[in-house]
Amino acid sequence: MLSVLIWVPLVGAILISLLPDKPATSLARPVALTVALGLLVWTTVLGVQFDPGQPGMQFTEYLVWIETIGLNYHLGVDGLSLPLLCLNALLTVIAIWSSDRTILRPRFYYALILLLNVGVSGAFLAQDLLLFFLFYELELIPLYFLIIIWGGPQRGYAATKFLIYTAISGALILASFLGVVWLSGVSSFDYEPLRSQTLPLGAQTILLIGLLLGFGIKIPFFPLHTWLPDAHVEASTPVSVLLAGVLLKVGTYGLLRFGVGLFLDAWVYLAPWLAGWAAVSALYGASCAIAQQDMKKVVAYSSIAHMAFILLGASATTRLSLLATVCQMVSHGLISALLFLLVGVVAKKTGSRDVNYLRGLLNPEKGLPLIGSLMILGVMAGAGIPGMVGFVAEFLIFRGSFPIFPVQTLLCMVGTGLTAVYFLLMINRVFFGRLPVELANLPRVQWGDRLPSVALALLIIALGIQPNWLIRWSEPQIATLVTDYGQGKALRESLPIAAVLNAPNVPVAVPPSVLPVAPIEN
Amino acid sequence: MVSTRKLGSSKHPLAEYVYRLESGNALLPDSPENVVEVVGILKSYGVVLDAYSRNLIYTSEHQFLVLFPFFKYFNGDVSWARLVRHWMHDRINFEYAEYCMRTMLWHGGGGLDGYLDSPEFTALARTVIQAKIKGNVLLQSLDRLFPDFLLEQVRQYTYYSGLGQFWRVMSDMFLSLSDRYDQGEIQSIPAVVQHILNGLVEAANQPITYHVKVDNQTYPIIPESAGLTFLSDTAVPYVEAVFFRGTPFPGTVSYNAQANQIPFDQSDFTYGALYADPLPIGGSGIPPTQLMQDMSHYLPEYLHEVYRRGLREEDDLRVKICQSFQKSMFCVTTAAILGLMPHPADTTNPEEQRANRTYLEKWMDRLVPSQLTVIQDS
Amino acid sequence: MTQFLLQTIWWVPGYALLGAILTLPWSTGIVRRTGPRPAAYFNLFLTVLSFIHGSAAFILIWGQEPQQLVFHWLQAADLDLTLTLEISPVSLGAMEIVTAISLLAQLFALGYMEKDWALARFYSMMGFFEAALLAIALSDSLLLSYGLLEMLTLSTYFLVGFWYAQPLVVTAARDAFLTKRVGDILLFMGLVALSSYGAGLNFSELADWSETYPLSPLTSALLGLALIAGPTGKCAQFPLNLWLDEAMEGPNPASIMRNSIVVSAGAYVLIKLQPVFTLSPISSDALIIIGSVTAIGTSLMAIAQIDIKRAISHTTSAYLGLVFIAVGLGQVDIALMLLFTHAIAKALMFMSVGSIISTVSDQNMGEMGGLWSRMPATTMAFVVGAASLVVILPLGTFWTVQRWVSGLWQVSPWLFAILLFVNATTAFGFTRVFRLVFLGEPQLKTRRAPEVAWQMALPMVTLTVMTLLSPVVPLRWSLWLSTTTPLANGDTLLIRLALPLLVLSGGVGVVLGATTQLRRGGWVRPTQVSFRFVQDLLAYDFYIERLYDLTVVSAVSVLSRVTAWFDRFIVDGFVNLVGLAAVMGGEGLKYSSSGRSQSYVLTILVGIGLLFLLAMGWTMNWSLL
Repeated sequence: MLSVLIWVPLVGAILISLLPDKPATSLARPVALTVALGLLVWTTVLGVQFDPGQPGMQFTEYLVWIETIGLNYHLGVDGLSLPLLCLNALLTVIAIWSSDRTILRPRFYYALILLLNVGVSGAFLAQDLLLFFLFYELELIPLYFLIIIWGGPQRGYAATKFLIYTAISGALILASFLGVVWLSGVSSFDYEPLRSQTLPLGAQTILLIGLLLGFGIKIPFFPLHTWLPDAHVEASTPVSVLLAGVLLKVGTYGLLRFGVGLFLDAWVYLAPWLAGWAAVSALYGASCAIAQQDMKKVVAYSSIAHMAFILLGASATTRLSLLATVCQMVSHGLISALLFLLVGVVAKKTGSRDVNYLRGLLNPEKGLPLIGSLMILGVMAGAGIPGMVGFVAEFLIFRGSFPIFPVQTLLCMVGTGLTAVYFLLMINRVFFGRLPVELANLPRVQWGDRLPSVALALLIIALGIQPNWLIRWSEPQIATLVTDYGQGKALRESLPIAAVLNAPNVPVAVPPSVLPVAPIEN
Repeated sequence: MVSTRKLGSSKHPLAEYVYRLESGNALLPDSPENVVEVVGILKSYGVVLDAYSRNLIYTSEHQFLVLFPFFKYFNGDVSWARLVRHWMHDRINFEYAEYCMRTMLWHGGGGLDGYLDSPEFTALARTVIQAKIKGNVLLQSLDRLFPDFLLEQVRQYTYYSGLGQFWRVMSDMFLSLSDRYDQGEIQSIPAVVQHILNGLVEAANQPITYHVKVDNQTYPIIPESAGLTFLSDTAVPYVEAVFFRGTPFPGTVSYNAQANQIPFDQSDFTYGALYADPLPIGGSGIPPTQLMQDMSHYLPEYLHEVYRRGLREEDDLRVKICQSFQKSMFCVTTAAILGLMPHPADTTNPEEQRANRTYLEKWMDRLVPSQLTVIQDS
Repeated sequence: MTQFLLQTIWWVPGYALLGAILTLPWSTGIVRRTGPRPAAYFNLFLTVLSFIHGSAAFILIWGQEPQQLVFHWLQAADLDLTLTLEISPVSLGAMEIVTAISLLAQLFALGYMEKDWALARFYSMMGFFEAALLAIALSDSLLLSYGLLEMLTLSTYFLVGFWYAQPLVVTAARDAFLTKRVGDILLFMGLVALSSYGAGLNFSELADWSETYPLSPLTSALLGLALIAGPTGKCAQFPLNLWLDEAMEGPNPASIMRNSIVVSAGAYVLIKLQPVFTLSPISSDALIIIGSVTAIGTSLMAIAQIDIKRAISHTTSAYLGLVFIAVGLGQVDIALMLLFTHAIAKALMFMSVGSIISTVSDQNMGEMGGLWSRMPATTMAFVVGAASLVVILPLGTFWTVQRWVSGLWQVSPWLFAILLFVNATTAFGFTRVFRLVFLGEPQLKTRRAPEVAWQMALPMVTLTVMTLLSPVVPLRWSLWLSTTTPLANGDTLLIRLALPLLVLSGGVGVVLGATTQLRRGGWVRPTQVSFRFVQDLLAYDFYIERLYDLTVVSAVSVLSRVTAWFDRFIVDGFVNLVGLAAVMGGEGLKYSSSGRSQSYVLTILVGIGLLFLLAMGWTMNWSLL
């Protein structure tokens, strides 16, 4: 079942690159789109088949690959990875759909997009540390090419920077993985057995710091983030959509799966610092976003701010806050994808993303009124206005983290408040006001350009009004992250914090381990 | 251009246009594209004005002092089919006609405005008001408490009628222009201007009158004896109120008193048809959108085809209509300027030439902030 | 049938929302051939439906025990979030007011906005606005109310930003949103904290919880302040009051809603939260201080305005300030009554203002005059609205305030002084406006001023009648929230003199307003320096906006620029430096011509291969050990 998600796009990518040269221009896109749509359907089927009531991995596939080094082809899906797989499938379709029809070297381009899909899906599915690492590294190759070939004028700089940062990130992660296997004396890189390791706190902490830096580059957190705005600015719209929508999520996924999953004791030990880091990162990202003049940079810095909320939720390690991180990943994936898509349309039609140049684009006859309206919606979703998925995610994160880290949570909430500031500054400059004559001859916006944005917008509203559709997959599952193993120590470590912070009424603050993990009937 | 040389060059920033007018040319450059646009748009404008004019006159005569004129846009023809179309807003936007009427009333000027303040008008209006509110206790007491209420309403109905009569003439003029174009008689912008000029001259002394029927008795409100005529009492105030002054559009101008964006003196207003930027058309708070929308239904095919060929095809239809409309209004303005010129344009008398020059420069003063230069090269 | 109408009460906001959604074909430009008016008719029709359903339910619930409707919204981990609606005479009564005023405002808009082609968008926003307001009236859950208050913030942004191409609108919409958002975020913090402390988020549960839950004084004070912040922004109270002034850039029918029922929505939530404020004396003191400062400050601002909308809108803040004081004192019945009489009268005044603006195309009162004899409905509306707001004639506010000072409630001398002051200043201000606009000789712009058409006149006259009838409510049913009649300070000298003194203060205001020298004709400022200074100080809202620009706004702007600089040169520079070695190593990567891509693939693959080999090597070593 799960292998399909890896091998079909891979075969698709190979097929596209093998297409005959002449009709390639006309065939590459439909083939890629068909494959992506097929994957989306398949992911949906998986979602329907998936039993949310049953904790742990499902649809597992296990195959010994290279025994000597303990590498196994072990795939599985649980409530943490399923929503992300869906997000990946959806955004791949959208990215292909919104790719320029007259793109240069289409075979290579669409093959790379599918390859990217392989890498991301593989990373979400891998139940083996080394396998995860392989996919993690695999995905950066297509992304590198997507930026360096189809990017903006500074693409060489941005792509190289991206590659170097991510390579370092990979090296740090690999080092941590090797370290944990080495130190705990297990014979393979298989995830489950490793979770029962009981390394001393010091060793755990060192390994965790490696992971944190590694994934911190990928997500990214301050001060490891500077590759991201550059990469976004240079990347083409579909690539930005994938980068912000799913690739960053690989980082947060890794942090949850391996950081929290393998080193819970150290995690809880470091948690106050992590929450502080989250707050700094959120405020820093927001503050930088206010000063940006490039629409894409505003959205890019807002990504940094919003991804930090995931760290906040993860550091609190309550059941609610961990569940909320999944929501936030999906929510940020949808919202940032929407925003990048719309910025892409604006840039395509006007040839600019400069907030000081663009003006009055809401003009119904000559401007981009529907794009503008969707942008306002996306921005409001990003700012956490209720009724949209952004609010649900942020509320759950803050509500889940506040009992453990009230100060850091409040600081992050200030960050949410600042979101409205920078987004509104952008919107009001670009879309409000009078359309200047220079912008009076914009090409038409086709419904094809609008369709993906409208779909995302509807999804954002639907999940905002009925968040249970999002939560039911992960709700009972997320508990396994922290309850199965190492909970004793987690309890010890986290209780005093909770106890100090809110004395009398602590049901939320108690780590989930003390609560019976009752499978919830659906 | 002998005369120009003799007179010396003008120091006016818009001197180029002064020369153009002196040599009998129009403010709008003569080109085949411009002829298509101007004639085509005046054709649809003529159709719309016809509807506006009929409705204004209908309202002034049959909805006179009706407090709840639910069916005033039906011109007396109320049926279910029309009602449904009305509700679906599948109709001419008569609101725009009323907006122009109120703008004209508000700015005043000309003989009609002066007449409304005369004792003669007050006496006639009082008579008809008394006849109308006879037996209606509520209105009678309201009239006693607020003595100017109904009087002011009658002044408004007078403008309904006045503008209706003015547009009647203009509509016929534009439609006959279109007919002549279709027959190949009109082929240049100066010919368009000449057609309009002839029409204005022909109708100049047509009397403006207004009578209402109450209980089968006809009451005069503007009798013939008032001596109001088409050109000086409706056309000139109309051009002044709608072409030049206009009212500030809430969509582009702040009404905030402290922001001080709207001049105190209405004669300083430059919100009229010759000044307005066409780009915001279609947006919120831009009343002329209604006119552009109405005209979009009656575009002749040759003009519609031109619009469809644009980059945004039909998406910015109303802005394009407005741009063409503005061009055509400069042709009408040219006709008005030439028609009111103190001496013939081809005069050789230096005295008369100088008088013409002064006259034209005064017009140009007002056109400095207008869209005149914008329409030249589009 | 009874139960059906009550159980489906949540349809009432639903109708309004449906109206908003039905406008989409026109507002998105899908329907282009015909005009947008069907969107307006849908909304009017659905508002009528809301009104009928709401009225029927109101009659049915009258005298009955309150009922609740509970929706389970979200269950996550140990958190069970429910959205509760309360069906009680109070909530349905509030809904009645909202539907009535909204219906009249929408009818008014049919005339006021008739020249506007974006009518569909306007009505969709009005529908959305109305839906949120109706739901706030029903909501018995802080979470739901918070969400709805945010919806109001959003609709304010949309409605103020309706004329998006107008330069002042651009900043006004932004400032309105951000100012309200400051309050909302603080409220959000309070909400998260409350929920974390284990409080159920229903108002009724909150009341019980606040009585039993032990909180440190600091925490409860902070909590109270956070919860106050939301309504402070909504009700345009100091220091978050300036957005209301700027919001006057929006279309007038929206101003009718905003100045009457929207500001009241914030106060309504405040009233519902009142039990929490009893936790800490600091929060109730804060309410009283905010209310007093606003009431005094904004009534002063109102009398110096030259813009007709602003002259009236500042008094909205002043009256809501009185509501804040009442809530701070725990006198929620009075607060509710004040909201009621204020909302109706203020909506009426704004209708009058709207019809003036649409007739004379101007908002500068110095350029007006002499309108009274030509515009009967407008004049009546203004007079009745103003008289109903100040305590001078036995109309709405008169009776509310009479209840307040009748001895049933604790009224201290300072509160009484504030009441006197607000009453006198407002009476002065309204008289001044009345003279400028309606009396005197007509000026250029008011020379021709026919009364507005029926779409505007009819709602105006209807609301005039409603305003004249509104005293019935404080007279007959003055206790909506308390079950027993409070008896506070009985029969003191202050109580006996209170009402006469208040009427006297109103009379003094009117007399001063009637005799003060008026300046007409454009924007003529006083010639006396000291007088001009005072007028400017008040007209420019004590320069608070300038103050904000110099403090908060510039601080954020400087901070963000510093951060961005730091990001670009320090962080990026430093982190890049660390990676310099790698850059050196990957020198070949710098060249970006796509023709050489094969070699890049190779480079990367080799790199990864090396890492992998390294990994293998390490693992093998270890496995050999």
